[in-house]
Amino acid sequence: MKIKSSLKLKFSALALFVGLFFSFNLFTASPAHAEYGDVVINNFSEEAGMRPVVFPHWFHRARFRCKVCHADLGFKFEAGGNEIDMLKIIDGEYCGACHNGEIAWAVENCNLCHSGTPDTPTQVHGSTVQQLVSNDKKPEQK
Amino acid sequence: MKSIKLLTALIVALFTYNASAADVANGKKVADISCVACHKAGVMGAPKIGDKADWQKRMEKGLVGVEKNALNGLNSMPAKGGNPTLSDNDIKDAIAYFLDSAGVRAAANASKAKAKPKAKPAPTPVVKAVVKTVKKPKKSKVMNFNRLMKPPSEWNPPPFEDGIHDPDGEGAYMLQPPRELFTNLEKSSSGNRVDWVKTLNNGLIAPRWDKADDTKQPFVMDLNIVREVKGSMPNVVYPHKQHTQWLDCSNCHPDIFIPKKGANQISMAAILMGEKCGVCHGKVAFPVSDCRKCHSQNKKKPLVASRK
Ligand code: HEC
Ligand code: HEC
Ligand code: HEC
Ligand code: HEC
Ligand code: HEC
Ligand code: HEC
Ligand code: HEC
Repeated sequence: MKIKSSLKLKFSALALFVGLFFSFNLFTASPAHAEYGDVVINNFSEEAGMRPVVFPHWFHRARFRCKVCHADLGFKFEAGGNEIDMLKIIDGEYCGACHNGEIAWAVENCNLCHSGTPDTPTQVHGSTVQQLVSNDKKPEQK
Repeated sequence: MKSIKLLTALIVALFTYNASAADVANGKKVADISCVACHKAGVMGAPKIGDKADWQKRMEKGLVGVEKNALNGLNSMPAKGGNPTLSDNDIKDAIAYFLDSAGVRAAANASKAKAKPKAKPAPTPVVKAVVKTVKKPKKSKVMNFNRLMKPPSEWNPPPFEDGIHDPDGEGAYMLQPPRELFTNLEKSSSGNRVDWVKTLNNGLIAPRWDKADDTKQPFVMDLNIVREVKGSMPNVVYPHKQHTQWLDCSNCHPDIFIPKKGANQISMAAILMGEKCGVCHGKVAFPVSDCRKCHSQNKKKPLVASRK
């Protein structure tokens, strides 16, 4: 009895997975073009009249290991999960630990970080989850 | 009215398309990587892509002169757009693309000059530009071989075309297009289309382990954990080595995984929904579609957790 039900569970999990995978494949074709791993951060920016922030993982990971940001600097693995704002940045936290004119260019280059298309919500792009939910709500059409 | 215009355009296109089709396509590729930074927005007075007046004016001295200036540089225009790895033909193709998208056409004989393995300094230096509006003929779309897959030309688009960077802001043109970096890295078929493990191991990049100190090195732990998988799928080999090259133990232990073999329940459904291995795989590290990278141990082999 127990074996059977756990088998059933496994099976339905697999079915779910296979189903997901096919829909996933289908929607890699959606026009969500963005580079894999680009994170849009838009908790406060647009409300404050700035373009959303786009953080490119590919660009930074070629220069730093994940550990630098995700262990030393304390970035949590969650798009928008760090409550970043400009005060923290100019005080040397988060992006400001490097974008301080010493390791990388300083904060006055607003447009390089605040480069996002208006109305783009906070999320990581090209992700499996994004492609799964794009089924009913496609994040950005072009 | 409209249809006559279209017809003339088509006829013109028919006669000119053959000569330049391949060039223009390659030219766009070259331009997207090496030229748009200045020529999209017209930085420092660079003639703008798609701006007919700009390019007509440039073409007054003839295509050969324009090509020469692009190859050798002109004031703030660096030689070959600052990218010495480009061939002369790449530059000429990029110019063909600029002219094409601005609707400015060079006289046919001028663009032919480059097809010949140039024996002498190119012919007549003064070639009159023939200006015509060319509409690109639409390719027949009866059948696409892969209906649902993105063609390679759509991988790694430059920021101003990727849908999340605002093409009306200047940031989008100042940022580096991914392909500019990726052309030199190890390729893969998914994610960034970069095999980051090989890229790192072959020394093509040297990402820092400390935000400022170049000399600090990670403690790399070579411990494989084999997870048996029921059914036909090959077993999963989880390698600590490739992970500890990038990550700190605290990135996974204990928040994502209890550090004890077999102590964690992991399933594909969880991974797909962004949990367990899916915290990173399918977001930043290689995506879930690369089944074989994780399911790498075929069955029937003795199932031993190899501890090296
Ligand atoms: C190194 C990248 C970076 C630079 C440079 C930068 N910002 Fe930000 N900024 C951020 C991030 C990240 C956030 C948080 C985004 C969010 O959640 O919406 C943010 C948020 C903001 C916010 C909303 C939150 C707050 O603190 O009020 C404003 C307004 C803002 N930035 C203005 C600016 C201005 C003006 C400049 C130029 C002087 C600038 N930023 C430069 C990264 C940057
Ligand atoms: C230069 C800093 C930096 C580096 C290096 C870096 N990241 Fe990130 N990462 C970020 C930032 C910033 C965010 C977004 C956090 C936020 O929105 O508050 C993020 C978010 C994430 C997320 C969460 C995505 C989501 O919403 O689920 C994952 C997973 C992640 N990073 C993995 C990695 C991996 C793996 C590496 C190494 C290959 C890496 N990161 C390297 C800065 C970095
Ligand atoms: C750093 C900015 C920059 C980049 C990158 C750049 N250009 Fe230019 N380009 C300019 C400027 C500025 C001018 C105008 C020069 C002048 O007239 O003083 C120009 C002019 C030109 C002209 C017209 C020359 C003439 O005779 O009038 C051509 C053709 C051209 N560029 C081709 C290219 C190509 C092809 C690339 C890419 C391989 C490229 N440029 C990359 C800045 C740039
Ligand atoms: C560990 C250090 C570090 C952290 C943290 C960091 N950056 Fe950077 N970033 C860099 C370096 C180094 C560069 C390259 C600077 C240069 O080219 O001069 C860079 C460049 C960039 C660029 C320009 C990329 C291009 O195409 O030229 C953007 C955009 C950017 N960072 C955004 C951010 C944002 C947003 C954050 C915070 C969420 C952040 N960075 C956090 C180190 C960092
Ligand atoms: C990317 C995530 C990740 C990182 C980073 C990581 N581990 Fe692990 N670790 C795992 C996984 C997954 C397992 C297997 C758990 C299971 O089988 O349930 C594991 C298992 C272990 C085990 C148990 C081995 C056994 O035979 O029982 C130890 C000990 C361990 N890790 C130590 C470390 C140390 C030390 C580091 C840093 C040098 C580290 N791990 C970094 C994911 C990680
Ligand atoms: C904290 C983030 C993170 C987690 C969690 C994680 N990985 Fe990874 N993994 C990475 C990164 C970063 C790489 C380097 C390659 C890349 O970025 O594509 C990598 C590489 C690998 C590789 C090496 C591929 C190769 O080409 O050699 C395998 C296999 C792998 N992961 C399997 C797993 C499995 C199985 C799990 C879950 C038990 C897991 N990973 C969990 C971040 C992670
Ligand atoms: C990031 C690593 C990773 C990738 C990529 C991956 N898997 Fe898995 N897979 C796992 C892990 C870990 C398990 C759990 C093994 C266990 O039971 O301990 C698993 C389990 C499974 C199972 C057993 C049923 C279940 O849901 O647990 C199947 C079937 C499966 N994977 C199929 C696939 C297929 C098909 C692909 C490619 C589309 C794929 N996997 C890609 C890591 C991965």
